[in-house]
Amino acid sequence: MDTSRRNFLKGIAAGAAATAVTPSHAAVERPMGDPGRRWGMVVDLRRCIGCQACTVACGTENRTPLGSYRTVVTHYELNDGDRPRRAVLPRLCNHCEEPPCIPVCPVGATFQRADGIVLVDNTRCVGCGYCVQACPYDARFINEETGTADKCTFCMHRVDAGLLPACVETCVGGGRVFGDLMNPESAVSKLIAEHRVDRLNEHAGTEPQVRYIGLDGRLKSKVEGTPSPLRASLKEVVS
Amino acid sequence: MSINRRHFIKGAGAVGALAAFGVGYSHTADRFLKGFLDRGRADDPYAGNAPQPEYRVDPATGRVQLNPAQQVSYTVCMGCTTLCGVRVRVDKATDQVLRVTGNPYHTLSADPHLPYGTPVLESFAGVSRHQERGLDGRATACARGNAVLAKLDSPQRVRVPLKRVGPRGAGLWAPISFEQLVAEVVEGGDLFGEGEVEGLRAIRDPKTPLDPAQPELGPKSNQMVLLTAFNDGRQAFARRFAVNGFGTINFAGHRAYCGLSMRSGYAALLDDWGAQPHLKPDFANAEFLLFIGTSPGNAGNPFKRQGHLIAKGRSRGLKYVVVDPVLTNADNIAADTNSRWLPIRPNTDGALAMGMIRWILEHDAHDSRFLASPNPKAAERAGEASWSNATHLVITEPGADFGRMLRGSDVGLTPKGDDDPFVVADAAGNLHAHTGTDRGELFHRGAVTLTGGRDAAVATSLALLREAAFEHTLAEYADICGIDEVEIADLAREFTSHGKRAAVDTHGGTMGSNGFHAAYAIVMLNALVGNLNHTGGTSAGGGRFKDVAPGPRYNLAAFEGMQKPSGVGLGRNKFPYEKTTEFKRKQAEGRPYPSAAPWFPLSPNMGSEFLPAMLNGYPYAAKALILWSTNPIYGVSGLPQQMAEGMADPKRLPLIVSIDPFINESNQYADYLVPDSVLYESWGWAGAWGGHLTRVNSARWPVVEPRQARTADGQVIEMESFLIAVGKRLGLPGFGPGAIADSDGNTHPLDRAEDYYLRAAANLAFDGKPVPEAEDEEIAATGVTRLVPELKRVLKPEEWRKAAYVYARGGRFEDPEQAYQGEFLGRRFPRAMQIYNQQLALARNSLTGERYRGTPYWQPPVLADGTPLEQAYPPDAWPLRAVSTKSQLQSPHTIGTARLQQIQPANPIGLHREDARRLGIRTGDRIRVVSPGGSVEGIALVRSGIQRGVIGIEHGFGHRELGARLHRLGDTPLPKAVAAGAGVNHNELGCPEPHRPGITFLTDWVVGNVARQGLPVRVERM
Amino acid sequence: MNPELLELTGFAHEPAWLPWAVQYFFLIGLSVGAFLITLPTYVLRRRSDDGTARAALIAALTTGLAAPIALLADLHQPDRFWHFYLYGQHTSWMAWGAFFLPAYAGLLTLYGWLCLRPELAARAGSGGPVGRIDGLLAGSGRRLPGAQRTVGWLTAGAAALVALYTGAEVAVVAARPLWHSALLPVVYLATGVAGGAGLALLFANRAPAATQGLLRWLCVALALTGLTVIAWVLGLGGSGPARALLGLAEHRPLTFGLWLTAGLLVPLALAWFGRAPVAAGLLAIAGAWMWRWEIFMGGQALPKNSAGFYGVHLSPGPEGLLGIVGTLGLWVLIALALTTLLRPTANAQG
Ligand SMILES: Nc1nc2c(c(=O)[nH]1)N[C@H]1C(S)=C(S)[C@@H](COP(=O)(O)OP(=O)(O)OC[C@H]3O[C@@H](n4cnc5c(=O)[nH]c(N)nc54)[C@H](O)[C@@H]3O)O[C@H]1N2
Ligand SMILES: Nc1nc2c(c(=O)[nH]1)N[C@H]1C(S)=C(S)[C@@H](COP(=O)(O)OP(=O)(O)OC[C@H]3O[C@@H](n4cnc5c(=O)[nH]c(N)nc54)[C@H](O)[C@@H]3O)O[C@H]1N2
Ligand code: SF4
Ligand code: SF4
Ligand code: SF4
Ligand code: SF4
Ligand code: SF4
Ligand SMILES: [Mo]
Repeated sequence: MDTSRRNFLKGIAAGAAATAVTPSHAAVERPMGDPGRRWGMVVDLRRCIGCQACTVACGTENRTPLGSYRTVVTHYELNDGDRPRRAVLPRLCNHCEEPPCIPVCPVGATFQRADGIVLVDNTRCVGCGYCVQACPYDARFINEETGTADKCTFCMHRVDAGLLPACVETCVGGGRVFGDLMNPESAVSKLIAEHRVDRLNEHAGTEPQVRYIGLDGRLKSKVEGTPSPLRASLKEVVS
Repeated sequence: MSINRRHFIKGAGAVGALAAFGVGYSHTADRFLKGFLDRGRADDPYAGNAPQPEYRVDPATGRVQLNPAQQVSYTVCMGCTTLCGVRVRVDKATDQVLRVTGNPYHTLSADPHLPYGTPVLESFAGVSRHQERGLDGRATACARGNAVLAKLDSPQRVRVPLKRVGPRGAGLWAPISFEQLVAEVVEGGDLFGEGEVEGLRAIRDPKTPLDPAQPELGPKSNQMVLLTAFNDGRQAFARRFAVNGFGTINFAGHRAYCGLSMRSGYAALLDDWGAQPHLKPDFANAEFLLFIGTSPGNAGNPFKRQGHLIAKGRSRGLKYVVVDPVLTNADNIAADTNSRWLPIRPNTDGALAMGMIRWILEHDAHDSRFLASPNPKAAERAGEASWSNATHLVITEPGADFGRMLRGSDVGLTPKGDDDPFVVADAAGNLHAHTGTDRGELFHRGAVTLTGGRDAAVATSLALLREAAFEHTLAEYADICGIDEVEIADLAREFTSHGKRAAVDTHGGTMGSNGFHAAYAIVMLNALVGNLNHTGGTSAGGGRFKDVAPGPRYNLAAFEGMQKPSGVGLGRNKFPYEKTTEFKRKQAEGRPYPSAAPWFPLSPNMGSEFLPAMLNGYPYAAKALILWSTNPIYGVSGLPQQMAEGMADPKRLPLIVSIDPFINESNQYADYLVPDSVLYESWGWAGAWGGHLTRVNSARWPVVEPRQARTADGQVIEMESFLIAVGKRLGLPGFGPGAIADSDGNTHPLDRAEDYYLRAAANLAFDGKPVPEAEDEEIAATGVTRLVPELKRVLKPEEWRKAAYVYARGGRFEDPEQAYQGEFLGRRFPRAMQIYNQQLALARNSLTGERYRGTPYWQPPVLADGTPLEQAYPPDAWPLRAVSTKSQLQSPHTIGTARLQQIQPANPIGLHREDARRLGIRTGDRIRVVSPGGSVEGIALVRSGIQRGVIGIEHGFGHRELGARLHRLGDTPLPKAVAAGAGVNHNELGCPEPHRPGITFLTDWVVGNVARQGLPVRVERM
Repeated sequence: MNPELLELTGFAHEPAWLPWAVQYFFLIGLSVGAFLITLPTYVLRRRSDDGTARAALIAALTTGLAAPIALLADLHQPDRFWHFYLYGQHTSWMAWGAFFLPAYAGLLTLYGWLCLRPELAARAGSGGPVGRIDGLLAGSGRRLPGAQRTVGWLTAGAAALVALYTGAEVAVVAARPLWHSALLPVVYLATGVAGGAGLALLFANRAPAATQGLLRWLCVALALTGLTVIAWVLGLGGSGPARALLGLAEHRPLTFGLWLTAGLLVPLALAWFGRAPVAAGLLAIAGAWMWRWEIFMGGQALPKNSAGFYGVHLSPGPEGLLGIVGTLGLWVLIALALTTLLRPTANAQG
């Protein structure tokens, strides 16, 4: 008990010490990205086979705890007239232009880079979970290992190194296309120019920057249907 | 209430409250502590715990800057039988694999794959953001490919040699030394205190017949059986030991329970019952593809490449139809009308295919130019990429000659310098040698006078096919398969309206009791459009360079004293029953048929038949079984329920040795468990199973330190080191000193795996135009550095850097340009497509003595003796049919991989809405599926994406081992894996063959493939 | 459940706000509610103290002091609580709360001290260790009416801000239809007052006058709760929240029904007919808690994108049941301390 009190006081001290340096240091520390770019993704659903390679690659690359996902691919069976069909839907953080997850953060731990990537500073995050509630896409979660908010980073650590996000690198169907939305020559810009693209939960007004080709109307916002009977048993598998 | 009393109560309350507070807030206090001790728990404030990138690439210039702490190695994935080339990212300090994705040089992982000459660092830049090259240059791994790295350090791994203590299957083991292991396996003795056990030395006898009364069964050596799975690049080595060294004929893989029906259908079509080549569509150029009983993108081989090509294709106008009782991810609503699911009744594909054939022939929609060309030259002149025996005449006269092809010698046509030709008729009915004319009549029927004067009725192969197709009306076919007439007609029309840029593919869906005929009928459609070897048509594969072969540098195929096994395999295959002592005896008794169990004269060795055979003791019992990385008791429909007793009884099967990194449903019964390497620890030279149009040889090599124990002389304990040690102790040819001859006639020893695999690399590097020499930079970047000492030791100075060049790229691959030559494919299959297959027509069913028919026709599901399944298992008792669909996520051995199971923890039992309504079942209910052979219990999934009357179960779940059960090594437990036992195994529903003794299960009645599709079942609510 | 659309592979999403949050919103709600009840007596001087205000004050103090600790426990990085003050964000209601809450807690304590000084002084006479402490706390023991009123008003301001932020913080979350209702703060306040009155009833020790007074408060608060929920269901707080609430009720008929009856209607009836005050009080407290549990946990059980609902399971560990017991323990400690320092209410003497 009182060791923790001692530490607690130490913490205050540390905090006070930090205060002196933090404001400036936070400003320079944060990688703000290139304002001349706007990273985004186009998911061409015609080219998604629902293989979940992206889901596994993301978890492996980013060491997310089992049962927490930065991206998932949901599978559906729906009727096209009287014909049953398959639908798959890769979901991830939309790196929204109007991200409701940011203003709610009480400590400014989550922020958006000039290139559009929405990040969490896990050294500042207090793990209050407010942003998790505020994201209309369930794209965030509290990482039980780091005790802080976690989400898709567009693999900024790879993108900044000139590489592609893990999920894009390993996308079997080639459905995940990542690039600079500001550059009209980029693959994403071309796809957007050539196809009708949709976004999830448009009505939420978040201006998501992940776009979909071939998105079925029934999947655009909250899906109404019969949930998978296996979703429940997932808990015991991961815990 | 007195003051003190109140104080007392308060005091007590206070203590309780304090306790509650303390406990309740313990973890908050704990978090506090953690917080102070290590602030910022993640490695990086923003990227969290993600490791540093393996290298950086300048997006502008493409300059690659390596991360010296990591290595990127190109090797092979073992997540399924596709064997994709992958790039494995290793943290050098910890020797941990950080992540795995595709090898851009590899045609199974990238499309198009990189030209072979590309420098390795350039290949790194090619998958980066540099000019967005990484998008089209993407080289991928699927979910399993990404996840299976967990096998390396799996807590379920067997790392040291184990010997059972306690009865077979008890799960109690004791670690033993490698040396003791080898000694006991070879010399035998009273190994388990259960009496004498014959060792391999006593069993090996390539001369003495195992049963003097039935010499045809072969020598005693045949009583050593080696079962394995498939050619993962190491199979040739195991074969060298068992077949060419030990001399047993009983060496088999999983084909009989994988896709033997499809393989045999193609064997009949391509007239090669030995190699059983098979065709795959040229996805990239096809306009229309028809999948009957195979689901590209959901499973299928090559899984990932097909998934990629089908996805790319449908986004660019490729149309395809998937005929399947179950709706899978082969369909995708986003592809709109380019993709289409057509539900069918199980085991009725033959009817659909014959219906299409009927429509095509009725409407002259077949490619007559192709079919009319009676020989390869004529075909070439006609501008065809392949040819067929459609016009060749068949003797249809009842009698001795019935069913065989008419030959030139029969009618006095023997052009000089040519061996006995086939015979074709022209429009006027005059006969010609098939080599003597450019065009034959397609539908000729007539009579000929055979040398000797007898008249014989003859008909062309195509005429016989037409007659077979006309045995039923389109309406009847529609009625059988549940796809209406118009649909069948439309399908046939569509299929024949794209010239040669249409193809049909099939596979696991035909694994039923009538699977062979279904498959032959289905693949026949390819012949009717003559698409073989044609761009946008079908290909028999791109082939491979010479590696484990009589190669340019070393001969790894043949050796001094090499054995040629003889006799009958336990599968009673590749051998006619009519040549057996049993037949002669029964003939003498006047009832030559039935044989005691079915014989399969046309089939290769069948792993599925071996286990029951050695326990049933027919055709003979075995004395030793080596199970190497195979799991028939999980994978064969009907075995899980039936094997326990026999396998556990040392009297019926005295010695079982397993070489395997894990304990599965089959090797749980082993007497000895020999550890084996996994994935990226193994040596090997893998190829592509199909769907590749260019040559592929994939290098398997240890890119990390193998995790298992080592022998006294420092070799990693794995299949190779074990078999070498056993081989040398037995003094088998092909092992030890002088086992490997080089092209200069000198010999070299085979004492360790490297002696073999590195020399194969040399062959590969020098095959055709030798490859360049590897530079130090790419050797270092790819971690091939770890091989250099052995490369130098084993290979010649002029060889090692070339071999290193091959390893640095993960194998040797032909450039994509080689795939096509104008309208034709670069690699062409030479033989004639068999519209009528004589070998098939001359074979007999060993239970009835009946001859099989030489063309496809509608054959309903049956028992091995031809009894209709419906009769054996009447529908009123068994109203539903269970089919198995591969899990898109799992393969049969990836269970317990947490990153996969957190996506789909188990497999539900699918059934159609209307059936569910009738049975009062709702999604999420627990239900029981009962078959004549067993039952399973699971969670119901009520869907509309499944054929009415069908129960659909995904394969890969419902394990009893591989982490589902606790084993003990001495007193340390081998822990269980995450939900490894979750879900159900469809094979526990496998049905026995009624009125046949011993362990039996449904098979195809011609070729013996395991029947896992269309099992008669009923469903009960729980 | 739409049979035309079947989810074959779906993923569960763990709640980010654990039962701790429920505990915090419960305690702070009760505190603010109870505090309001003290105003007429201690600040407005409308009525002489018949015990109502005193009981309410004790209720407000005990819950008001326990609440912040519960809040801390809901953070996954409690040691970083000071970040709230280092990196405040004006856009975040939670950030504002970080200032409102301590202000309220501090002022409330001061207010309580001012109101109870005379009592402490009186108790100081009784000697014994407790008496000595009382003496220290009481100081001169003289009433300071001016200070009491000023601080009272300030505390009232802080209480209003707390009530506002706790309501708004949740109500602004557009991503959760169940929460995104303008009526949510009202129900929070109403149930808070009900719970506060309920708790006060326990401290009132059956003193008739106080009991009557508190039951009146209870009646009004519960009635207000009922009316607001009706308005909610009628869509006056938006159609989304209305649908969400009905959906929740349909998905969790038992727990929701339990709240509606045992947490709202029964105590309302009891209060109305002035029966079983203690039972009424306990039920009102339970009601305040159940409502928050339904809203927080139920709200997080409602998938944002997926079909159906996520299972909400109350884990036995500190993340769940233990945590709840823990906060309860903390509250009991504070309550015991306070009641030890204070004289039992006049009429229940001896
Ligand atoms: N009901 C039903 N049954 C089926 C199928 C189906 O779809 N439905 N599919 C069938 C098909 S197509 C096939 S091919 C067979 C496959 O069945 P098999 O080829 O017999 O066996 P597998 O389960 O693929 O794997 C064999 C064993 O290899 C070991 N192993 C796993 N990883 C490694 C490794 O990295 N290295 C080494 N050395 N060993 C390893 C494990 O012990 C595993 O059990 O199953 C068939 N059975
Ligand atoms: N994801 C994944 N991919 C794999 C594998 C894996 O384990 N997992 N294994 C690899 C191996 S070893 C192989 S052999 C291939 C096999 O690849 P496939 O043959 O494509 O897969 P299967 O699931 O065996 O069978 C194909 C389809 O047949 C359907 N089917 C069942 N009964 C019938 C029937 O009576 N008629 C028709 N028309 N269809 C029927 C099943 O529903 C299934 O969708 O896949 C390879 N790729
Ligand atoms: S998707 Fe959610 S987490 Fe991502 S930016 Fe938008 S609101 Fe924030
Ligand atoms: S969890 Fe972290 S990032 Fe999210 S709102 Fe709270 S402090 Fe901000
Ligand atoms: S971009 Fe990176 S973090 Fe985001 S989903 Fe893909 S892999 Fe995961
Ligand atoms: S990897 Fe690509 S194809 Fe596979 S599920 Fe993810 S997005 Fe779809
Ligand atoms: S398809 Fe099979 S071999 Fe290829 S990556 Fe996936 S699991 Fe590995
Ligand atoms: Mo297979």
